[in-house]
Formats: sequence, structure tokens, C-alpha cells
Amino acid sequence: MSWPTDITVTEKGRMLEVVFDDGEIARLTAERLRVESPSAEVRGHSPDQKKIVTGKENVAIVDIQPIGNYAIKIVFDDGHNTGLYSWDYLRKLAT
Amino acid sequence: MGSPGREREEEGNPRPLSVSRQIPYLKAPRRAPEPHAVNERERAGMASRDEIMAALSAVPGPDGWTPLPESGAISGLTIRDGKVFLAIVVDPAKARTMEAMRAKAEATIKALPGVASAVVTLTAEAARGLGGASPAPAHPERGQERRHGRSSEPLPGVRHIIAVASGKGGVGKSTIACNLAVGLAKLGLKAGVLDADLFGPSMPKLFGLAAKPELAPDGQKLIPLEAFGVRVMSIGFLIEEGAPVIWRGPMVMSALNQLLREVAWGELDVLVVDMPPGTGDTQLTMAQNVPLSGAVIVSTPQDLALIDARRGIAMFKQVQVPLLGIVENMSYFLCPHCGGRTDVFSHAGAQREAERLGVPFLGEVPLDIAIRANSDEGRPVVASLPDSAHAGAFLEIARRVSQTLETGATGAKPAPRIRIL
Repeated sequence: MSWPTDITVTEKGRMLEVVFDDGEIARLTAERLRVESPSAEVRGHSPDQKKIVTGKENVAIVDIQPIGNYAIKIVFDDGHNTGLYSWDYLRKLAT
Repeated sequence: MGSPGREREEEGNPRPLSVSRQIPYLKAPRRAPEPHAVNERERAGMASRDEIMAALSAVPGPDGWTPLPESGAISGLTIRDGKVFLAIVVDPAKARTMEAMRAKAEATIKALPGVASAVVTLTAEAARGLGGASPAPAHPERGQERRHGRSSEPLPGVRHIIAVASGKGGVGKSTIACNLAVGLAKLGLKAGVLDADLFGPSMPKLFGLAAKPELAPDGQKLIPLEAFGVRVMSIGFLIEEGAPVIWRGPMVMSALNQLLREVAWGELDVLVVDMPPGTGDTQLTMAQNVPLSGAVIVSTPQDLALIDARRGIAMFKQVQVPLLGIVENMSYFLCPHCGGRTDVFSHAGAQREAERLGVPFLGEVPLDIAIRANSDEGRPVVASLPDSAHAGAFLEIARRVSQTLETGATGAKPAPRIRIL
């Protein structure tokens, strides 16, 4: 599987750039990451519980914390911080 | 998804910020006062909210001069049958310097007529709003925020943290973890053991340790106990033998973090973490809160145990923790009377599984009365019978583990560089 080597927040928190070790570079907007958050708050506990998150055009990333060896936790400026984005998931969002 | 109040109730109060929080897990989880709880039972003759607030005007708030009631730091006041509970929000970083304010507020309330008792607690709820440059709008999901220590920063001074795990209970994880650590120490490495089995801590018994850990000079961290050249920390040192730990997940997460980070481990080459069986809260907390260098899976050769071992392996794979290898425990039984060998739990099942999964096979440990008896007496065989075949098996496992860690042959990739521009 591809592994991230660099994770960078740019554009004042509006953009996340992920460089993978196979050369792929993903540019993901904070809005996309926010509405596609893998957290149970957004996903619920089954597909029919998924919430549609709207109105996040201006959301920004304020912090990134590593989670073990496999993921990052993204903290948004609207207070959302329960999404753990695994390398696999970041890659999936990129393609 | 429960309301924030309900969430709190289930969590207990995992990180009390009072100064008396040395070994907080010794205390019953104290329920934080409900913010702004309206109490029907305020009765005549007892202190009223207004009287309490008026009295607190004499107490400077967190900034040192604004009277407490005006400082906006009071997040909850509850009065129940003459007992007063007050919560003050403080910056967690300054919690220690706030103790004087807390004590003064408590004494002030206690001095009021009609107050039977007063409990003032410092809470860190203010941390919720931090982070955003712009004031964060009220958001229904905000109540979910928690802070269980900061993320998965490595432990300073500890080079490698490895987990000893299995799917199934009773396969000898703790015995292996103990002897592996003693073996690593014998190889000249600085080794430690963290007993992460909060519900069934075995390390006190296995290492023959019973003392209470002391507080380090900094007054913040506990000094691990030491035996056979291994530094050991276990919740078993902090509770009476036989006393049960009855906790929900969030308390487990909090206590694990404290056992990891609020212990003066010092410089360690390897910290061996003895996991409880299964793939639950403890495993997930460990996998998320520290970068694990690898995991050792212990299994007996029988299919029933291997099924669960596979689950354990799959879990570590999912969270990108490299597998250092599989140990087959209770591999065979040599009869001390006739010398005949019996494969009680079948044989070589774990080895076959390792081959199937392409994971190193670290070795087999026999089912033997010497291992059992010495373990029960707190004398790990690696130390007490160093020339025995059993000790040899454990030492070989330790050698392979240390070799894999030193050569970086685990296949682990470096953590990505994270920057916020």
C-alpha cells in the first residue's frame, strides 16, 4: 500500500497536501475532508445514519495530530475533531 | 449519540485536575458537577446560590484579581442538602498554580452558615474552544470533543514500544512478556514492562513485586518498580491484590495514558507492553496513542487459540503496527517421570500459521511445571533458571526481537512529516 511521507496544511488551513511514497500527491480541501469525515458523528453506525454535512465552504484545519502509525486526526475550526483519517482513507479520497 | 451531560456521566472524571491527583485511579471516579444544574432541593435555612456567589466575590479568579463570580470561570454550581459543588474552568497548563484559588473558594463556601460540605473542582472544559482563530460557532457536534492526553507523541527516552498480545486469553502472554523483558535486559538492553491488562494485572506476581511506586522528585510522575533489571509499572501496584477494577472504556483509556506517560520510565531501549486478551479498548488505545514499533503474538498451537490469534494479527495490520513474530506457548509437555513427550495442545500450529502469514516464527516454549512454579513465585525462569532449556527458548525469542528492532527489519515505514504552514 502507499504510505504518506509528507502531510502539509496550506492556504491558511483550507488545503491539505499529502505526498505518498509512490509519487502521488493528493490535494484535498478542508471542506471535502470535513464533510467526508470518517467519524461516527458524520457516518453514524450504519450507512443509513450518514449525515449530510453542509455549509462548510469556509472551514479550515487548525491542527493535525498523529494517531499511532496509521492515521491522523484533523482538528477543524468548527470544533470537529473526531475524524481519524487513515492512510488508506486519505488515498481513497485522493482518487 | 448522547448529550454532553450524559457523556460525562459515562466517562466518570478520567482526568481530574486537582493537585491530589497522584494515582487518581485509586479514587472512585468522582462525578463532575453538572453545569448550571437547577436544584429543586435548595431549602430555607441552607445557603442559596446568591449567598454563595456573594461570598465568592472575595475570591480572586484565575487571573488573580477579577472576583471569581465575574471571571466567567464558574461552570457549575450545585447545592444539594447543604452540600455545595462548584466547578471552575481553568487552563489545564496552569492547573497546578490554581490550587490556592480552589482551596480558598472551598474554604469560603464551607464557612457559610448552612453549608455542610463544599467540594470545588478545577475542570479543563475551556480547552474546548481553543484552536480556532475565529470564535467557533455553536455546533451540535462540539459536545463530543474530548482530550485524552495529546495524541500519539512518542514517549521521550523510550526507543521502542512493543506489544505482547494474543486474541485468546490464557495462552501465557504475561509470562512471555515478563520473560521476554528479562531476556532483553540480559542481552544488555534497558527494558521495561507496562502491564496494560488493567482488569487482570499479572506483572506484580510475575516479578514478585508488591511495593507501592513512589512519586518522582518532580511530584508528577510515578517511579516504576524494578526487578531482574526490568522497570515495571502495573495498576496492580496501585490497588489491593484481589480488588477488582470495574471501568468502562474511557476510564481504561485514561488510566492507560497515565501508566504510559505519567511514569518516570527514564531511558529505555524497549518497553514491553503486556496486553489483555482481545481486540478492544486497550489495544486500540495503545495503537493510537503511541507509535508501536511492533507486536509479538502469543498463541498455543491449538486451532481454538489460533483463530483468535489471527484476529489479533489482523488488528495490528489494520493499524499499521508491524508484526515482530509469533511465539508458540505450551508447545509440548515433557513428562518429568517418564520423559515422554505429549503435545497437549497439538504442536507447531503457531509455526504453520506464521509461515502462512509470512510472519517470523520466534520460537516455542514448552508447557512445563518449572515455568509455572517459578512464575507463581515471582522468579521468571530466564533469571531463576538461566541455564535451563526454557530460559534458552525465551532468550532466543528476546534475541530475535531485539535483532529485528535494531536492524529495522520490521518493515515499518517512517511516520510522515506533518507541517502546518
